Amino acid sequence: MADALYSALQAVLNGLLTGALYALIGMGMALIFGVMRIVNFAHGAFLMLGMYVTYVLFQTPGLNPYFGFLGAGLVLFLLGYGVYWALLKPIRGESDFKQILLTLGLGLILTDGIQLLFGADYHQINMPLLSKNVHLGTQISLNAPWLISFGIALVVGVGLYVLVMHTMLGRAARAIAQNRYAAPLMGINVHRVQALSFGLGVAAAGMAGGLLLPVFYLYPAVGDQFTLKSFVMVVLGGMGSIQGAAVAGLVLGVVESLTSLYWGNQWALAVDFAIFLLVLSLRPSGMFGSQRV
Amino acid sequence: MKRPHLLAAVFCFILCLLVAVVVHSDYTFQVLFRIFLFAALGLAWNLVGGYTGQLSLGHAAYFGAGAYGLALFNKAGLPIWISLFLAVLLAVLFAGLIGGVSFRLRGPYFALATIAFAEVLRLVAKNLTGITGGDVGVQVPPLFAHAFNRSFYLASVVLTAVAFGLTVWISRSRFGYYLMAIREDEDTALSVGVNAARCKLWALLISAALTALGGGLYGSLFLYIVPDQVISITISNEIAIVAMLGGAGTLVGPLVGSVILETASELFKNLFQEAHLLIYGVLLVVVVLFLPEGIVGTLAQRLRRRAVVAPVVKAEA
Amino acid sequence: MSYLQIQQVTKRFGGLVAINQVSFVIKESEITFIVGPNGAGKTTLFNLITGVFHPDQGKILFQGRDISRLSPDQAAKLGIGRTFQLVKPLRNLTVLENVMLGAFLHTTSTARAADEARRVLSFLRMEKAMHLPARGLPLAMLKRLEIARALATRPKLILLDEVVAGLSTTEALALAALLQQLREWGISAVGGVEHVMQVVMRIANHVVVLDHGTLIAEGTPEEMVRKPEVIEAYLGSKYKEMGL
Repeated sequence: MADALYSALQAVLNGLLTGALYALIGMGMALIFGVMRIVNFAHGAFLMLGMYVTYVLFQTPGLNPYFGFLGAGLVLFLLGYGVYWALLKPIRGESDFKQILLTLGLGLILTDGIQLLFGADYHQINMPLLSKNVHLGTQISLNAPWLISFGIALVVGVGLYVLVMHTMLGRAARAIAQNRYAAPLMGINVHRVQALSFGLGVAAAGMAGGLLLPVFYLYPAVGDQFTLKSFVMVVLGGMGSIQGAAVAGLVLGVVESLTSLYWGNQWALAVDFAIFLLVLSLRPSGMFGSQRV
Repeated sequence: MKRPHLLAAVFCFILCLLVAVVVHSDYTFQVLFRIFLFAALGLAWNLVGGYTGQLSLGHAAYFGAGAYGLALFNKAGLPIWISLFLAVLLAVLFAGLIGGVSFRLRGPYFALATIAFAEVLRLVAKNLTGITGGDVGVQVPPLFAHAFNRSFYLASVVLTAVAFGLTVWISRSRFGYYLMAIREDEDTALSVGVNAARCKLWALLISAALTALGGGLYGSLFLYIVPDQVISITISNEIAIVAMLGGAGTLVGPLVGSVILETASELFKNLFQEAHLLIYGVLLVVVVLFLPEGIVGTLAQRLRRRAVVAPVVKAEA
Repeated sequence: MSYLQIQQVTKRFGGLVAINQVSFVIKESEITFIVGPNGAGKTTLFNLITGVFHPDQGKILFQGRDISRLSPDQAAKLGIGRTFQLVKPLRNLTVLENVMLGAFLHTTSTARAADEARRVLSFLRMEKAMHLPARGLPLAMLKRLEIARALATRPKLILLDEVVAGLSTTEALALAALLQQLREWGISAVGGVEHVMQVVMRIANHVVVLDHGTLIAEGTPEEMVRKPEVIEAYLGSKYKEMGL
């Protein structure tokens, strides 16, 4: 009985550790959706790119991934900013249809481009830290790299939240989210703010990728599952609410962890989607907070 | 369709059937099969994605239902063609579920729901090893025992013809106009008495049935299927890209799209190996940015503009 | 005979009361205009009658039947046609096809729908534009297209949301002359306008004045323009400017 309780508690804690990274990914997606009404089908591909940037920084100059993820964030921010002006701006204001297809195509290009450059092989980095565990009592132990990634993700996530809620950029972004037509009248440069938001959202995915590198396998298609999960988070969190997406990320982590414990790892993703379809059919405005960014 | 167009279509159909007499190489048959299969799938997708304007990125669900349905019903002891029929019904049931959940909502929900549903199916097929064989896969019975590759080629031509005929008929009917009205502006469609949710659902059901036939054909040709092959996101994307490239909402767009995409990916397969999907990504971006109406749609628009502008100018002069 | 009865209807959006306890009656073959400044609640009222929104309180009866809970397509099938203030053409279809969509409410035959559409288009003097795609038409044409599409459904009641807004005075009066004929066809019409009072004066039998979601006066056009509180409240300056 006590063992069962401890293993459940362990699963919940593990789920929260994963969930914080999910939350960061979901917040990026929600920021993009909230400000631009674009469902970013390339989100996972950007995350994958963040992993590869961190990986390259680790392999050549030997930079620790816990610093390297910042490099990934920077690269991805610039890339996202550029992608907005080059690809997204020309089709602003057109149907969801086109925006979805464009980001879908972009994701395929990134994924298969990386595959051309690096091959389809799996990679994993080696650090002495990776096998360390932190023990809480006799029954519960937390994997050290996950714990560190969790801590950093929390800081970055809160930082992103503060940035969106309490700065000029954030206020402008929220004004656009509320009314795209009135925003320019208030002197807001809509395109610049949208480009910055897209860059930030993508950078969040890239940083999460960097933080995942120590604890995850690396391969070109690694991002696909995260694209799908970030849909789940954005819908669960109420389309476009970044705090909603953050909560949804934590919930998703815990649900997956418990699913793995009781039904087996192979069902985790299926349960994600089942929840997603359930939310769509029952409460399409989301489970957590209906307020937009 | 005007009479000369109809004659041309029938002529092309007969020509495609006659190809089977001339060709003898199995490889050629298989490439041609793929072209016609995806033409049919593209036409099926076009009813929902093109005419109705509802972006489905989960047609692999119906495709997989066709392939797996055929395999599993047959494994359970039912005759082959009854199994195929039940597989189609299964796909239609899935389509009803997806449509029921997501057609009440507007915006990107439908696209997201289609992906999520297809992924759930894929994972279920992977995990229910007792029924589906999981990743080990399952045997699919051959629909045609005689002259294997030639028969499958002919079947793909017939399926394309059926999908094409159905599209012609729908696009000229009230139902077809209703679908286009929903695509152009759902509020307007409602304001003239169109039951948008029901029309969208019907379009999806028909589309799913055709797609399941294609899936059954595909699985049966390979004789053996695994979930990652027939219920994959790649299949969903390929179906959508075929239609978009040729021209969503046009009659012959999916045919043209399939010829170009399947030929190109056959060539790139040898050039880039596993990264040949790159071509899909590039095509998607190019189509969205530069050819929003697809190849056929863009050409047709040019011609129409000339045709329409000319008489007006004359009348004023 | 009262055709459409609005009974104590209230509609809220969050904290905002868009329509507040509004009641009035529209009679058969009458042209009623709902007058009020932008934001007075005209479009909301139209959306309530056509089933886009449902009232929070109150009832809407059409030919004695409660239609408060119908969906927009059901309302259309009962014979309530409408136009949209922000025109909503089916952009990639031709003018003829746009109007055919209305006509399909009564026939499944494409040929018959086309005939009906041609008849409506010639009534609205739009035959020349028949085969042009709707996108790219000038606003005056798009406003007429809205009416044509609604008329093709053979409505018993047609709601015209700002059909003359944005048109030149000549265009507006030409359109008003056409609209006047609706009564001869036994169609009741409800128009909503912001300020083109010339049109209202010329063709309305009845005027309802809305302000901030509340009905502040109703009567014949002549009565309305004599009521000081109506003029003062807000027909005011604009009305005087027009020198009527």
